Amino acid sequence: MDLASVFYLGVTFGLFAILVGIVLRTYSKKRKETGEAPKYKMLDDD
Amino acid sequence: MWEKKPVLLMVLATCTILAGTIITMILPFTWVNTKADRIEGVVPYTPIEQEGRDIYIREGCNNCHSQTVRPLVAEVLRYGEYSKSGEFVYDRPFLWGSKRTGPDLARVGGKYPDSWHYKHMDSPRSMVPRTNMPDYKWLRDNPLDAEAIQHKMDVLDFPYNNPQIAALQTKNEMDAIVAYMQKLGNDINWRKATQVEIIGELVNPYAGVDHITMEPWESVYRNNCAACHGEHLEGEIGPELVGDNYEEEELFKIIYNGIPDGGMPSFSALGSDKVWQLTNFIKYYNQGEGESH
Amino acid sequence: MEKPSYNTDIVRGFVNWSIIWGLVAVLVGVIVSLQMVNPDLNFPPYLTFGRLRPIHTNAGIYGWGVGFIFATFFYMAQRLCKTPIWSPKLAKFQLWFFNATIIASAVTLLMGFTTSKEYHEMEWPIDLMIIVLWVMFAINIIMTIIKRREEQMYISLWYMMAAIIGIAVLFVVNSAAVPAALFKSYSAYAGTNDANVHWWFGHNAVAMALTAPPLAMFYYFLPKSTGVPIYSHRLSIISFWSLIFMYLWTGAHHLLWTPVPDWVQTLAMAFSVMLIAPSWGSVINGYLSMNGQWHQMRDNYLVKFLILGLTFYGLQTLQGPMQSIRTFSAFIHYTDWVPGHIHMGTMGWVSMIGFACIYYLVPRIYGNEIFSIPLANLHFWLILIGQLIWSISMWVAGVLQAGMWNAMNPDGSLTYTFMETMVEMYPYWWARAIGGLIYLIGVLIFIYNLYMTVQKGKKSSSTLTEAEGRA
Ligand code: HEC
Ligand code: HEC
Ligand code: HEM
Ligand code: HEM
Repeated sequence: MDLASVFYLGVTFGLFAILVGIVLRTYSKKRKETGEAPKYKMLDDD
Repeated sequence: MWEKKPVLLMVLATCTILAGTIITMILPFTWVNTKADRIEGVVPYTPIEQEGRDIYIREGCNNCHSQTVRPLVAEVLRYGEYSKSGEFVYDRPFLWGSKRTGPDLARVGGKYPDSWHYKHMDSPRSMVPRTNMPDYKWLRDNPLDAEAIQHKMDVLDFPYNNPQIAALQTKNEMDAIVAYMQKLGNDINWRKATQVEIIGELVNPYAGVDHITMEPWESVYRNNCAACHGEHLEGEIGPELVGDNYEEEELFKIIYNGIPDGGMPSFSALGSDKVWQLTNFIKYYNQGEGESH
Repeated sequence: MEKPSYNTDIVRGFVNWSIIWGLVAVLVGVIVSLQMVNPDLNFPPYLTFGRLRPIHTNAGIYGWGVGFIFATFFYMAQRLCKTPIWSPKLAKFQLWFFNATIIASAVTLLMGFTTSKEYHEMEWPIDLMIIVLWVMFAINIIMTIIKRREEQMYISLWYMMAAIIGIAVLFVVNSAAVPAALFKSYSAYAGTNDANVHWWFGHNAVAMALTAPPLAMFYYFLPKSTGVPIYSHRLSIISFWSLIFMYLWTGAHHLLWTPVPDWVQTLAMAFSVMLIAPSWGSVINGYLSMNGQWHQMRDNYLVKFLILGLTFYGLQTLQGPMQSIRTFSAFIHYTDWVPGHIHMGTMGWVSMIGFACIYYLVPRIYGNEIFSIPLANLHFWLILIGQLIWSISMWVAGVLQAGMWNAMNPDGSLTYTFMETMVEMYPYWWARAIGGLIYLIGVLIFIYNLYMTVQKGKKSSSTLTEAEGRA
């Protein structure tokens, strides 16, 4: 494998890791309540 | 975190947007329109061609016509050599288009003689009865503004000389658009380069054909030749075809390869079978007429 | 919390004007579709196909689309932030300036002042007006969000902010040009570069004007119409980040097989296919929000518009990636297939959501109940049928046309001349014009219904009305 391919692979996995990070963060148990709160609040009478 | 901080969210969103932007939009600048891209022979537009191009833009011809030939078999056959990046370095803006209601024009330069374009632009339907291209005869009524064109050439930093500017005084917008059409795709010498050499002996597969068999071939003639050589071969933009004394083989070659410098297009894309039909149709048209009268 | 007094005046202004520009767009659409079947309908110099088509597209996207984006964003931002608009004066000026910009665009385009770049045809003075307009809007919305009284931000606000930034970046970069006269400029980029920059703009205009804002509206007006929350706020967040990340890589799928560098094309192709995931993230979220509520498809005409619109979005985001694949693009690019794709998006997705929002808004900003629900249902069916005829006839036409363009004889020559392929399009272009006419009738019924609502509608019950807040 040449340097360019290693670089591409690195970037691809890096991006994938960021995605996994965002998913894990968003779906962590800790955030279940707060993560879903806005969808109820927006239904408040306005 | 960012769920509660709009400014932070916007900063993060901007970074997210910039990733793809930098890689697919900014980075290519280091490859495109560089020395490696240059093609010898590709030169800037002359004043009248550039003005023609601006009129093309003004009239929105790009809404019906594309200007890139893709490297696909049928497309190269239909329109000519595929387009190269280096051919567009003087195009501001690009005019590749996204819809082919009409044919691609990237290689239209030199395909037809000027007189064809004038007649076609005046009234496309007079030559191609069922086209939906609008008439542009009215462009003839608009003289060119030499001073404004000179200024535009300066803005573009394209070379020009005084005789070129002086010549604009007597020209109108129609002249400009025809000049532009004739420039398109012609900076590389592709017509001669891609001309197919027919090797070996040519044998007329329809030798001794009778008039009845030839009848359906008349539509091939009408669709491809009548606009220039007249409904009854009487000639108009191209010469009269009745009474020529070409050998069958010669006739075949003229139709197959065209006469690039004379304004007669090549019809190799029709395939040799149809070209033979045309050869016979023209060669024996007189006889046929004679018989039926 | 004491109820803030929201500004409805401005929402009303934008609703009214967006409908007017929408009517213009559809009318001109019908005219250009007729010009394609009968060239005698070209009246030079102003009313030719080449000049009218950009008026159609720009009136559709900027007059109608962006018009109701302004209306709904002002409405949603105030309520999601539980605070009145930051500057009503600025908003009022923006309405005036918006109309001035649209009129200036239409007039200059008719006169032939155009850059030729699709969806960015307006010449540089108008570009400047558009930038001023957008900055005004951005400041007002962002300031409203900053001084909000609701800490956590609902997903619609995210999409709104992304759209505001995205359009600003795209538009400014693609505007770069050297003026040569008051209404003539030359692009700062040349040839292949210009093409690549332009379609980076072009495709992301679709993302930031015709995808993100309607999604913001969908996420707001669906729960408001059904009365139940969306299925998952967290899923919408994942979709959000991946959507705005991936869209920007895909511009070159408009340029497959052209001289643009191959690797740019390949990236565009790959990211377009991956875009299915975030797009369908929203689609699935929308469908699951209807769990136990599907009966509302029958009872509630708002839901009908919203869910059908979302369905078209789902189809659009499957068809789009398909078109981004090189082999498929080789076949359908440049054909009538593509307008079929476009109009499923614009007449189906974008406009259906727009109609739903306006039906929802009008009773609340005018204080009258909708004049006639049967008429609203009739409107729904007419635009659905009109759009289906439009798109399906173009898909069939496109495949036929592509087949004929590529057909070859055994000896390696072409089977059809260009004109032999083109005349085959006429029946389909006629069908499209008829589909457009049906759609136009639907839009006229919509406008009649709204007019009667304002003039003669019953006063709505007090829970519905927010009109007391109006100036
Ligand atoms: C409504 C769509 C439409 C518009 C607008 C339009 N054309 Fe055409 N054009 C066509 C069609 C269809 C054809 C093919 C039939 C024919 O030759 O008329 C064509 C053919 C041509 C051809 C001949 C190409 C060839 O290889 O035979 C040229 C040159 C041309 N157009 C130039 C122009 C110019 C210049 C403009 C703008 C001033 C323009 N067209 C505007 C539809 C259009
Ligand atoms: C764009 C207009 C145009 C079209 C279309 C066209 N021709 Fe021609 N043709 C010309 C011109 C111009 C010449 C004269 C070229 C020269 O002699 O320099 C010519 C010359 C010829 C000649 C030689 C005539 C002679 O007296 O030397 C033949 C044969 C011919 N064309 C046949 C055809 C056939 C067959 C077709 C249809 C397949 C066709 N042409 C289509 C323009 C056209
Ligand atoms: C009755 C309704 C409509 C009709 C009859 C109609 C008709 C047309 C026609 C004939 C074209 C030209 C297609 C071509 O060149 O082959 C077109 C293009 C287009 N229309 Fe419409 N249209 C309608 C509604 C809309 C709406 C509501 C929008 C936007 C919100 C819209 C956006 C567009 C766009 C973006 C294009 C450009 C297509 C391209 O670049 O290939 N249209 N329309
Ligand atoms: C995943 C999402 C999408 C992808 C990958 C996608 C892909 C594509 C592709 C490849 C083309 C070019 C077709 C061609 O010329 O060969 C195209 C054209 C277009 N699409 Fe989509 N599309 C998507 C969603 C949408 C949506 C939601 C809309 C909303 C209206 C839309 C509107 C358009 C328009 C207006 C054009 C025409 C551009 C032109 O003038 O040529 N697309 N799309």
